[in-house]
Amino acid sequence: MAERAPLLVADALEKVYGSGDIATRALKGVSFTLEAGEFASIVGQSGSGKSTLLNLLGLLDTPTSGVVRYNGEDTGALKPSGRAELRNGLIGFVFQFHYLLPEFSVWENMVMPRLIAGVAVNDAERRRGEELLHLLGLAGLGDKNANQLSGGQKQRVAIGRALMSEPELILADEPTGNLDSSNSEAVYELFRRVNAERGTTFLIVTHDRRIAQQTDRILEVLDGELVQDVPNDYRSAEKD
Amino acid sequence: MLSLRIAARFLKTSPGQSALIIAGIAVGIATQVFVGSLITSLQADLIDTTVGSSPHVTLLPPDGETTLPGSYAERVLDSEPLATDAVAVRDFSAIYADGDESLPLSVKGGGAAGIDGIYGLSGRLVEGAYTLADDEILVGAGFAEATGVGPGDELSLLLPDGRTGAYVVSGVFDLGAAAANERLAFTAAQTAAAALGLETDAYSAIEVQLSDVFASTEVAERLASELDAVAVDWQATNEELLSGLQAQSGSSAMIQVFVLVAVALGIASTLAISAVQKTRQIGILKAMGMGDGPAGRIFLWQAALLGAGGTTGGIALGYALIWGFSFAPVPFSIRPEPQFIAISAVVGISVALASSVIPARKTSRLDPIEVIQSG
Repeated sequence: MAERAPLLVADALEKVYGSGDIATRALKGVSFTLEAGEFASIVGQSGSGKSTLLNLLGLLDTPTSGVVRYNGEDTGALKPSGRAELRNGLIGFVFQFHYLLPEFSVWENMVMPRLIAGVAVNDAERRRGEELLHLLGLAGLGDKNANQLSGGQKQRVAIGRALMSEPELILADEPTGNLDSSNSEAVYELFRRVNAERGTTFLIVTHDRRIAQQTDRILEVLDGELVQDVPNDYRSAEKD
Repeated sequence: MLSLRIAARFLKTSPGQSALIIAGIAVGIATQVFVGSLITSLQADLIDTTVGSSPHVTLLPPDGETTLPGSYAERVLDSEPLATDAVAVRDFSAIYADGDESLPLSVKGGGAAGIDGIYGLSGRLVEGAYTLADDEILVGAGFAEATGVGPGDELSLLLPDGRTGAYVVSGVFDLGAAAANERLAFTAAQTAAAALGLETDAYSAIEVQLSDVFASTEVAERLASELDAVAVDWQATNEELLSGLQAQSGSSAMIQVFVLVAVALGIASTLAISAVQKTRQIGILKAMGMGDGPAGRIFLWQAALLGAGGTTGGIALGYALIWGFSFAPVPFSIRPEPQFIAISAVVGISVALASSVIPARKTSRLDPIEVIQSG
């Protein structure tokens, strides 16, 4: 029986901005593999290249050299439409900024990836959406315009949007940066629950080591290089 | 149809901007509808005044002949689908003399129904009745005024062969043209035959009216080839009027083209601004997996919605202007031209769609990372 390819492979990823004397190497040959169902984090100082790495992994940007593979498929060979389909079907994004559409309601923002995929939202999904809103502390706000919410509420809607389409992988860039500690705790508990119940893979970028400590694997980026890729022993011990 | 839904929402959330652009298109289309209908109606009125009550094609005897058979009128009606009326006429000149005063008259003799079909005399009588019995004559209002004759009066005319003919005035008509009202007169066919000394089936011309006045040249050519006659059409004898009408059509087309260009520039600039305003949203949608095609179509849909709204409003406004014009003190009315309005609608929406091409292409090329990195 053929071995199943890893969910995500980053192979010698390089990203150079500019050229000649002003060229900046934001990433210098980063390689790692992420298996389906992992709950991992990328840590690093501000400007270390972790957001650049996340954008490359999310197929929002293209590497100067190197390859991003999803389920064994080289994404560098894909046309823009193929990359867009992968983003829509496989990946859920949570950015530092909420990036909600201010013209639409909370609920419409939550189901937008499904609408982009051309999928009609059924009753079961609507119930799941309401449950998500409840878990995110947004119960009863579904019909409100996204612009009417506070910054923290908007960020939680963005998290709900990423979870709503049940992607295989969630890429989150400082997802709780705008939330207070109790809301932040609730979000990580929700991530953990989704990871356990659905096997959704999480890769969370953070500069906060306390948050990284809550993940099973920690990858550390320093000056564009992957300097550490270790299992979180503390977390493993906690689970045991 | 997510692109349509997003386009509609973008427009709905900028109501002032949307209303302004719809008003801009509406004014442009209303101008199109009004100016187009005005020029078309003005031309129709001018043509009707000029040739509506006269023959569009006249068949004359061929070289070497002086008369045509009366049966040609029936043959024209049988063979020519565009011919609505045809009458065989006998023309002669006469002079009215009263003491030192004399007035020339061009007398046309023909069947009462046929003459009425061409000249519409029964509807243009100002005095008397429309009858053309033996020795009866219908004279114009200008002639009646100059000579003082009226219905029931006897009229003596000096005929071409030197004889004097005595006629009874049955009615006075007004054809709307001074020359015709002063010089033209009508009698029965047999009265004209007697004045000319012609045989019963000999006529000097066949006069034809058509359903399409601008087809007169082709019809004249067809009739000349089918019948042994020389055919003269009104366009050949009214070149100045035709060039005037063409100049009017040209200037009307130019006004409409400039209006369309103004509308197109208005829509294009507004959509370009809207595309810049919505760059962030488009970037977010693309980051979530919206393809370049659907993203570009958002602006095509916006343009289509603006175009449809503006065109509908413009047609309504155009009709209102036409209705308002009906109260203006002018001697003709504007008729809305459904075909012209349909063309304006198609042109309005097409111009709107064409205006959206640049923002749509710009949008489809937008890289989501530009938005995500800019924060």
